[in-house]
Amino acid sequence: MSISKSNRTVMRLSMKPFRNISRTAVSLLLLTEALVSARLNAADVSVSSGLSRAQISQGEMAELQIKVSGAQQADVPQQIQADGLQIRLTGQSTQVQMVNFKVSSSVVYSYIVMPLRTGSFIIPGASITADGRQFRTPELSFKVDDAKAQPVDPYAGSPQSAQGIQPPGIPMPGFQQQRPRPLQQRPDEGRLVFGEINCPKKTLFAGEMTPIEIRYYFDARYPVQVRGRLDFGCEGILVERFPDPKQTREDRDGITYNVLTFHSLLSAVKPGSLDVAPAKLDCEIEMPGALPPGFDDPVFRQLMGGHAGISQQKQVTVKTSALHLEVLPLPKEGRPESFAGAVGQFDIDSIVSNPHPAAGDPANLVVKIGGRGNFKGMGAPVLTHAEGWRSYPPSDKFDSSDELSYTGVKSFDFTLIAQQPQTESPGCEFSYFDPTTAKYVTLTSKPLPLVASPGGASPAVAGDTGATALSPTSVPSPGQNPNKNVPPKEGQPLSGINLRSWTTPMQRSEFLIATLAMLIATAALAGILVYWKIQSQGGTLASRRRKHIAELRSLLTGGTIDAGSFYEAALEYAELVVPPSDKRDALISGLTERRDLLKYGSGGSLPLPTIEHRKLLESLDLATTKAL
Amino acid sequence: MKRPTLQLSSFLFLLTVTLASSLMVSLHAGLPEDFASANANIASGHAVEALSTYKTLLTYPEFKTSGSAEIWYNRGLAEMQTGDAVAASLSFRRALLLDPSLAPARIELSKTLGLLGIPVPTGWRERTMQSIHPETMIVTGAVIGWIGALLLVVLLFQSSRRKGLIILSLLLILLGHGASVLGTLVDPRRTARDSAVITAKTGPTLRATPADSATESGTVEPGTLISILSRNGAWWYVSTGSGPGALQGWIPSNTATPLLSSSKGSS
Repeated sequence: MSISKSNRTVMRLSMKPFRNISRTAVSLLLLTEALVSARLNAADVSVSSGLSRAQISQGEMAELQIKVSGAQQADVPQQIQADGLQIRLTGQSTQVQMVNFKVSSSVVYSYIVMPLRTGSFIIPGASITADGRQFRTPELSFKVDDAKAQPVDPYAGSPQSAQGIQPPGIPMPGFQQQRPRPLQQRPDEGRLVFGEINCPKKTLFAGEMTPIEIRYYFDARYPVQVRGRLDFGCEGILVERFPDPKQTREDRDGITYNVLTFHSLLSAVKPGSLDVAPAKLDCEIEMPGALPPGFDDPVFRQLMGGHAGISQQKQVTVKTSALHLEVLPLPKEGRPESFAGAVGQFDIDSIVSNPHPAAGDPANLVVKIGGRGNFKGMGAPVLTHAEGWRSYPPSDKFDSSDELSYTGVKSFDFTLIAQQPQTESPGCEFSYFDPTTAKYVTLTSKPLPLVASPGGASPAVAGDTGATALSPTSVPSPGQNPNKNVPPKEGQPLSGINLRSWTTPMQRSEFLIATLAMLIATAALAGILVYWKIQSQGGTLASRRRKHIAELRSLLTGGTIDAGSFYEAALEYAELVVPPSDKRDALISGLTERRDLLKYGSGGSLPLPTIEHRKLLESLDLATTKAL
Repeated sequence: MKRPTLQLSSFLFLLTVTLASSLMVSLHAGLPEDFASANANIASGHAVEALSTYKTLLTYPEFKTSGSAEIWYNRGLAEMQTGDAVAASLSFRRALLLDPSLAPARIELSKTLGLLGIPVPTGWRERTMQSIHPETMIVTGAVIGWIGALLLVVLLFQSSRRKGLIILSLLLILLGHGASVLGTLVDPRRTARDSAVITAKTGPTLRATPADSATESGTVEPGTLISILSRNGAWWYVSTGSGPGALQGWIPSNTATPLLSSSKGSS
């Protein structure tokens, strides 16, 4: 049993009499899915890869499939880098299989392989991450010869195919060939159910996408449940994932049918005649059975709502007719060098998202390819006028404007590093093959104005013309590390280990301690300077007063000065030492009177008599002592 | 004035020694060899082996409190080679956290975010960080500021006041400490504690309350940098930015990885 989760469709047709049965069936389905999921989690994961053909002619394309078994999802690269080949992811499909109650799942990722030249190639292994583990696919050999492409049988390239064996290098069930089936107009059930396929173009170029429509008709009188997924495709064609089908009603030959319509896009990978097997859809029809004897009368039928009888479930595979396609190779004549697999009708536009990047910063050139065609299979545009720029493979993003991703805009974002001062971005060239005119078309976009410079400085813009003049500061200074802003070769690791803290200095204790130390140091320095300034001025006022008093005292007790000077000193001493009081006032008044007498009278220049000297000192000491 | 000059020199010396000693960490004996071996693996295309070695290196004790922008950058390259762009974006962000002026990491992050369809942050903070490392700005600014402060003190106590020198010292204080504050403001490590990157393969749904059944308010793309505003068990209340288009809501904490994890090498 094979169930595709992405394409699983459950359709209910004319379900009124059997609603309960249907609910039970759905519940059983859900239960089964839960059991399946539980079993899937325990599955082992393995990865394999294979090519549809190991050898092709130039102008053809091959298909690479990577199968991840035991997982429902995996991380795979969008592109696989191989010199001379363009390998791009085009889609994926998920399969869940149950064989003898053993459940397994697999995801198949399809890549289109387009050669850019002839020769032998080694497709490198791809890194796959699945179920949290890393896998690497083996390298594959691939050859592209220059022989003229001939219309070939889909299986002619593989000698084993004649015996019904898989072609070499395809070790997975999801890649099995489907033999062309004979033309089938109607299924065995006659007009009860049948399918039709409609492809407007029977002759198309390799890589050209064409819409297909698959319609399944179900007699509206019988309830039907669709099981599984739509099975359509064969080697040599790529079919986009089918979106959910549309359900309509249609009368044909007097019978009302419920119609299930699938739309998708088809593209051929290799030139030649292709017979695509009929598109198949498994379903279950509730068929009326024979009534037991005695119940086969109109009244009973009416009582049972017209569906009386023992119904029987019938498994039916509804098929369309086979599809024959003639696939033409892309012409070699006139193929531009910038052609990278785009087939359709496109236009081009480009913008610089940051026209004034900082010195050493990358500029981003976004090239937008719009129109309709094989967006998934197209390669990136080619940069022109890219001298002085270092460019990286672009990232791409596709914005579809329809359900099938046939029309839309694909944006390629080039990261550009200026290796010298630049005033214009590189230009772009994009070539595609137009299947309606059978000719190659080359689109170009002109360089766009910008101002970018390598690490160090930005050139100054001179006027409005966009011309620039190199600033003197663009020369790296002697102390500047010239490699700081220059990126290493792409993908190359950096050498040398420099340990840095995960926290900013303000959050680190050592920085806070150093700041506190500086604060204390500043305060200490200020204190020291204040002290020095005081010392340089002879100390404080009090200390100077004390010093002066000591000098006066020494003068008074020395007895070497004349009487006038003695009283002068005694008066000053009393004013400084004796605290304010009436006695002080009287003492000072007496001393002043005596000084003036000696100073302005006679005897001022004579030594003071000893008795008077002693009495005066005693009165001063007494006044000082009493005051204390 | 010989003694104050001596003191000033002593304190500057002490400050320098203190700051320098904080940055000096001895490396594990086998670390350089293992690092070189991992680099050789990347160059030869063995990204899985290189990634394993880088993860082991980051569990070494020297990386408990410190980090190496070079190792995180190289690890990001290895993750890109293995096709894990989301993990690579986290590694490049961590490299830039440690060294915001590391141009290769900035370029690789720009490319990675381009692949993931996430806009590359551009603003005055980023431009400032690209021109000078915030750590340099903070430490140098602090030293210049304190030199200005000491000079001002000396000048104020000089008998002959020199107005020009006093203005110079005031400018040194203003510019030095101003640069230090600016460096702290632009330093991404200041707010990294509450930042995380969406590392789930599919972007989580933002919910109005911390419950699986709560109303949805949008989804966050893998690789997006988010701010953690609140934590509630296994749920984080996060914001995708500060602009008008920023989204806020609860996400399961296991869908994002903190920019600063408790053990940097393990995640």
